[in-house]
Amino acid sequence: MLSNIFTFGFLISLLASTIRLATPILLPALGQIFTQRAGILNLNVEGTMTIGAVAGFAVAYKTGSLWLGLLGGMFFGMLWSAIMAWLSVNMRANQVIAGTGLNILGAGVAVYVYRIIFGIQSLPPQVTPFPTVNVPLLSKIPVIGQIFFQHNILVYFAYIMVFVTWFILDKTVFGLKIKAVGENPRAADSKGISVAKMRYAAILLGGVYAGAAGAFMSTAYMNMFTEAIVSGRGFIAVSVVIFARFIPVRAMWGALMFGFATALQMRLQALGINVANQLMLMLPYVMTIIALIIASKKAEFPSAYCLPYSRMER
Amino acid sequence: MRDKILNSIRQTVMAILTIIVALIIGAVLVSLSGNSPAEAYLTLFHGAFGSAQRMSEVFVKMIPLCVMAFGVSVAFKANLWNIGGSGQFIMGAICSVLVGLYMGLPSAVAIPVSIIAAMIGGGLWAGFAGWLKTRFNANEVITTLMLNYIATYFLAYLIYGPMMDPGGSLPQTKQIAESLRLPLFASGMRVHMGILLIIVLLVFMLFFWKSIFGFKVDLVGKGEKIATCSGISVKKTIVCTMLISGAITGLAGWNEVYGVQYRLLEGISSSYGNISVVVALLGGLNPIGITIASFFFSALLVGGATMQRMTEVPYSIVDIIEGLIIVFVIARTAFDLKIFRKHNGKEKRRC
Repeated sequence: MLSNIFTFGFLISLLASTIRLATPILLPALGQIFTQRAGILNLNVEGTMTIGAVAGFAVAYKTGSLWLGLLGGMFFGMLWSAIMAWLSVNMRANQVIAGTGLNILGAGVAVYVYRIIFGIQSLPPQVTPFPTVNVPLLSKIPVIGQIFFQHNILVYFAYIMVFVTWFILDKTVFGLKIKAVGENPRAADSKGISVAKMRYAAILLGGVYAGAAGAFMSTAYMNMFTEAIVSGRGFIAVSVVIFARFIPVRAMWGALMFGFATALQMRLQALGINVANQLMLMLPYVMTIIALIIASKKAEFPSAYCLPYSRMER
Repeated sequence: MRDKILNSIRQTVMAILTIIVALIIGAVLVSLSGNSPAEAYLTLFHGAFGSAQRMSEVFVKMIPLCVMAFGVSVAFKANLWNIGGSGQFIMGAICSVLVGLYMGLPSAVAIPVSIIAAMIGGGLWAGFAGWLKTRFNANEVITTLMLNYIATYFLAYLIYGPMMDPGGSLPQTKQIAESLRLPLFASGMRVHMGILLIIVLLVFMLFFWKSIFGFKVDLVGKGEKIATCSGISVKKTIVCTMLISGAITGLAGWNEVYGVQYRLLEGISSSYGNISVVVALLGGLNPIGITIASFFFSALLVGGATMQRMTEVPYSIVDIIEGLIIVFVIARTAFDLKIFRKHNGKEKRRC
């Protein structure tokens, strides 16, 4: 049995699926880095991803274009997170409650919309997923090519976004403003940065990423929509952001860690090996708590984390 | 006193209005899907109250919802956003099953011990998050959320591994002895004596908020500064509040094992964790309000399941109604606060 595990083929497929499985965690996590850096804890990622998944699937199915589907997922993900923005910025609501409520609402709306569009069918409708794109030359490299360069286009896209997100956040004025409203909204306000506008932008941007991840699930991973399509990945993304202490590259490592745990469990199950994989699946969550302890000690959280802002108060 | 009564009447009216608006939007959605809203709601109502059997199901679901909502409301009042209800529920269930299955105590002893075990299990699970908050300033929202997953996988580990029923191949434990199970009200129905738990806890909660500690919890919720100025040890109160909150929630796990399932199985906490948050808020964190709200939501859950079976209307309409209610409650609270804020400065609340 053990010899099955330590074969080369097993390792390669394990690592390749780690990279693929990390994608739907990495994308929303990157988006949430913007949102959380602006001081908003958006627990509604899960709901936003479900909305993105149904929108992406429906658009792709009806138009026959996967790319339009992806855009649809991003657009409706943004629209959905606008409700979160309205509640947390305009209504200055408690973000935890708003997120929890919108998760329940999002799951309901997504399934309902799916039922209205597709009705009840004996066979669930499917789309042809994004095909595997073999990167020229690189994919021919033995081992490395198989692990890194034989994925569908959205996987590459997600990893490129790590760099893009870092660039926007650290090298542009926009990124600086987002961090400013998360660190010290009053000071930002006095410098003429609109706290409300920046927080809206950060939440909507997070919604776009989450919507894209939802569309990834339904058009590049599962090829269909089911009620439990996101199954906790949104919450994992939130924890990855905190685990990564709001830094894009670390978020990538965090997402890969979760991806590895899931991939290993799936591979072992496929081989029929019964190890206590539940304990292994638990590990990333334990590590998030540990990371939280370390992060809290170093006070790396944005100072205005979870705090609504109002000009009238001091 | 008069103000108090007026206030609670106003709150009740607002809660009912919230529900009505949510139901109206739900009706619009039902008709969008090409079904008759009247038929859907009638089926839903009938599905919840149509027969003694169904009424009994409403109460079966109401017990955990109400107990958990009591539990989280304690933390919410202190402005601690304990969303780890399902984790505490699971730990309570696990601890109580350990007592019921392995300790071999006579039932007169085993039942009280199992109750205490469930309270300890749930209480420590939440108290740990409280301790992390006071010791490391770790956000309790994230820690309780993570502890939910850890508890879920721990439960899965136990029922797939060491605690799996040796007589079967299903991922579940053995059933607890019949002498330990809570007696049923009537044969053929699942509603059990656990319903008394609601009454006991309701009385406890009413007294709790009148007690000194309840007052401290409330003060901590009003703001750390106010509490510190009043000479309250905020850290100690936070940990104790979480302990109590988790202990009550753990009781819901005990109830589910000893009254309904008689064993541990996957998904034992159902979606109670999320819904109890909605129940606690809709009930305005008030014990009586919570009891009524939990009854309403339980009817919605049971009726919704019937509606899905009998009509073309999908169950997700129930989720939508729940979600809308919580969004309306938030928006309403925000408006209330705006009015409130004009009169006196209020300390900022971090979630």
